[in-house]
Amino acid sequence: MKHGFILTAGAIIGGAWLAAAPAQAETVLNIGMQAQDMQALDPHKASTTPDKAIVGWMFNGLVRFKPGSMNPDTIEPDLAERWDTSSDLNTWTFHLRHGVQCNNGYGELTSDDVVFSLKRAADSKTSAYSSDFAGVDSFEAPDAYTVRIKFKQRPPNVLGLLTAYQSGNIVCKKAVEKLGDDFRTKAVGTGPFAYAEYTPNQSVVLTANKNYFRGAPKIDKIVYKYIPSDATRDLAYQSGEIDLIYGRQDQTWAERMQKEPHTVVDVFGPGELSDVNLNITKPPLDDLRVRQAIAYAVNRKELVKFKGELTAREAVSIIPHDYLGTDENAPLYPYDPEKAKQLLKDAGHADGIAIKAIQTQLSTMLNTMQIVQAQLKKVGIDLQLEVVDHPTFHAQIRKDLSQVVMYSAARLPVADVYLTQFFHSRSIVGTPTAVTNFSHCDMADKEIDAARGETDSVKQKALWKEAQDKLVQQVCAVPLYEQLQVWAHRDKLNFGYKLDASLTLGPLINELTTLQQ
Amino acid sequence: MARGLLQRVISVLTYIAKRLLVAVPTLLAVLTVVFFFVRIAPGDPAQIILGDQASQQALAAMRHQLGLDQPMVTQYVEFLGQVLQGDLGASLVTRQRVWSEVAGVLPYTIDLTLTALAIGVALGLPLGIVAARHRNGVLDYLARFFSLTGLSFPAFVSAILLLLAFAIQLRWFPVISETRSGDPADQLRALALPAVNLGLIMVAYVMRVARSSMLGVLGEDYIRTARAKGVPARVVIWRHALRNALIPVVTVVGLYLGVLIGNSVLTEIVFNRPGLGKLIINALNQRDYTLLEGMMVIYAFFIVIANLLTDLTYGLIDPRVKHP
Repeated sequence: MKHGFILTAGAIIGGAWLAAAPAQAETVLNIGMQAQDMQALDPHKASTTPDKAIVGWMFNGLVRFKPGSMNPDTIEPDLAERWDTSSDLNTWTFHLRHGVQCNNGYGELTSDDVVFSLKRAADSKTSAYSSDFAGVDSFEAPDAYTVRIKFKQRPPNVLGLLTAYQSGNIVCKKAVEKLGDDFRTKAVGTGPFAYAEYTPNQSVVLTANKNYFRGAPKIDKIVYKYIPSDATRDLAYQSGEIDLIYGRQDQTWAERMQKEPHTVVDVFGPGELSDVNLNITKPPLDDLRVRQAIAYAVNRKELVKFKGELTAREAVSIIPHDYLGTDENAPLYPYDPEKAKQLLKDAGHADGIAIKAIQTQLSTMLNTMQIVQAQLKKVGIDLQLEVVDHPTFHAQIRKDLSQVVMYSAARLPVADVYLTQFFHSRSIVGTPTAVTNFSHCDMADKEIDAARGETDSVKQKALWKEAQDKLVQQVCAVPLYEQLQVWAHRDKLNFGYKLDASLTLGPLINELTTLQQ
Repeated sequence: MARGLLQRVISVLTYIAKRLLVAVPTLLAVLTVVFFFVRIAPGDPAQIILGDQASQQALAAMRHQLGLDQPMVTQYVEFLGQVLQGDLGASLVTRQRVWSEVAGVLPYTIDLTLTALAIGVALGLPLGIVAARHRNGVLDYLARFFSLTGLSFPAFVSAILLLLAFAIQLRWFPVISETRSGDPADQLRALALPAVNLGLIMVAYVMRVARSSMLGVLGEDYIRTARAKGVPARVVIWRHALRNALIPVVTVVGLYLGVLIGNSVLTEIVFNRPGLGKLIINALNQRDYTLLEGMMVIYAFFIVIANLLTDLTYGLIDPRVKHP
C-alpha cells in the first residue's frame, strides 16, 4: 500500500514535470523602419517605401519575380500555375492554382477575386496605379479558376505588370467588401503573412499564414516598428530590440554596420536613378550646346565617390541599368570641363550663365545637387538652387516651375515604363496626361511607341536603344548615379534566398525565411 | 465666513467663464488664419497620398474625394459650419476623425508635459532659492553652470545621451518603449527618460528665473526690516520672500507650458513616443489640411487654458489680485 502510494505520487509528479516541458516559443521577427506611421496597407494605394515593403509580404500576384531578383526574364508562376496567349498576343489566359486561401478567414481565392482585384486596380477612384492597366480592354472570369485579360493596347511586358507589385497585387474580394474603408489598414491577401494588429505611430503586427500555398512560414510573427529617428533605430538594433533594420542610403552607415558583430549589411537593387532633367524649351537650355556643356561638366565618378561606392554606382544610361531594354553602353557624355567651357563659348556665353533650379531640402538629394552645382561652377555655369521642403518641391516641379529638375526614381524594370513616364511627350508636366516628363522632350516618341507594340523582342530592344541614344545625345537629362537600397540584419536571420534586388524596396520575407533563436 | 467663501468661488467661476467666452473669437481667428495659410502653401495632399506614379485621373479623383476641387471659400464655409457643430472633420490621409487622432496622442503629451513641468519646478525652485541665498558662493556657481548647460544643450542630443546611458549601457529601459500597451507600469517606464530629458531643461529655466526673482525680492526694504527684527533666515525666505518671488516664476512656467507642448517634438521623435508636436509636424509634411486645422485649434485652446491657469494661480499667491 505504501509502495503503491509512492509509485502513484511519483507517476503524477513525473507526468506533471513532463507536461510542463516548455511549449515551443514563438519566432518573432522585429523590424525597425524609418517611418512615422502607416499610410496604407492596401496594395493599390500603398505608395511609400515603408508600406510597399510590408505589402510584399502580404500579397501575391498572378506571377512573381523570383525572390531576390528583379529580372523580367525569370518571372515565374505565383497565383497562376500556367498561362497561354492568343496568336496576336492580345488575349492572355491564366489558370489559377486550386486551394489558395485568403488570409483572415476569407475563404478560397477564385477567379472572382482576381478579376475584382484587377478591376479595382485599374479604377482611378480606388487605385493610385490605375494607369498601369490603361491598355486593357477587359478582365473576364470564364470559370472559377481561369482569368482572361484582353488588351486593346498591349503593354510591352504583360507579365511584368501582373507581378506582385502595385496593381498586380491581388486582394480578396469579400474582405474589401466587408471592411470598406478599414481595408486601408487591415488589407487582406493570400501572402505568407497576414495582418494581425496595428498600433498607430508604433507598429504593425503580422502573423504567419499557416495555410500558405508554398508552405507554412517558419517565422510566426513579424513586428514592424515605426522608428523615424535614425539614431533611435540604430540604438534599438544595438540593444537587440530589432533584428532587421532599414538603413540609410549612406556609405558611412553601411561601413559602420559592417563592423557590428553578427551583422550582415544588405545592399540590393533597385538602384534609384538620379537624373538631372533639363527643360529644353526654355532659354538658355533650349540651346543644345548649353545642355551638352552641362553634361560635359558633370563628373559622375566624383559623385559616386562622394555617395560611397558600397551603396551607389554610376549611371549607364538615361534609365536605370539592368532593366529589360536598358542600353548598357549608352553614349553618355564623358567628363570634360574644357569641352564644356568651349561649348558655352560657342553658344555665346563666354562669360558664363546662370540657371535657376527648385530643389528639395531632402538632404540626400540636396547634397548631390550641391556637388553638381560646384562642378558646374568650374565651367562658368552658376546653378542657383532655390531650396524648398519636399512636398513643395513635388508640387512646384509638376507645375513646370523649374528649368532644372533633379529626380530620383526606380520603376518596373522594363524600359518602356521609365521612358514613357520621363521622356514621352504625353507625360510632359502641366498637360492633362502629365506624369514626370520635366524635360519636355519628344524626339524619341516614335521609337518608344513603336517598341511598345513590337512583338519581336530583338527589334523591341533595338528600338528602346535608339530611343535612349537619342535622348542622351539631345541631353534631355544628365544621368548621375544609381542609389541602391541599404538594410542590415542580424546573422541569425536568413532570408532563404539570395537578395540581389527587390522591387518592393525591402527584403522579401516569405516561407523560406528563418530566424534562429 | 461661509458666505465670503461662496462669494469668492462665484467670482472665480464668473472670471473663468468670461475668459473662456473671450477665447471663442480667438480660436475662430486662429482657425481662419490656419485654414487659408495651409491651403495657400504649395503642396498637393492628393499627390502625397497617392505617390509619384499616380495618374492625373487618380489624382483628380482623390482631390474630388477630399473636397479639394471646390473653391476655397466654399470649403471654408463648409468647414466652419462643421466646427460650430463640434465636428473637426477627418484627416485627409487616414480618414480618421481629427478629434480621435488628437485624443489618441493627447494623454501622452499631457503626461510628458506635466511630469516635465513637475520635475522642473520641484528641482528648479529650490535650486534657484539656494543659489540666491548663497549668491556668488560655490553652490550658486554650480547651479548657474548647470542651468547654462541645460539651456544650451539641444533636446535631441541629451535625449540620445540618455538612451545611450540608461538603455544601452545600464539596460534599465528599452530603447523603444511600448507606450500604448495600457499597462500603467509600462507607461511609467516609457515616461521616465523623456520626462527627465524635458524636465532637466525645465529645471534650467525655472532655476534661473527663481534665482533672479528671489535676488530681487531679497533686496527689498521689508526683507531688510525683517532681518533687522531678528527673524531667522529660514523664515525670511520661506515665509516672506518666497510668495513674492514666485510671481515671475509662475509667469514663466505658464508661458513655457504652452511652448512645451510643441517643443517636446524632438524628445518625442528620439524616444519614439506619440505626441501632439510630432502629429503636427507629420500633418504639415503630408499637407493634411484638416488634421492641421483641427490640431492648431486644439493647441490654441490649450494655450488659452494655460494662460487662464497662470492668472488663477496669481490669485492664489497674491491676495491683492482680485478677479473682476
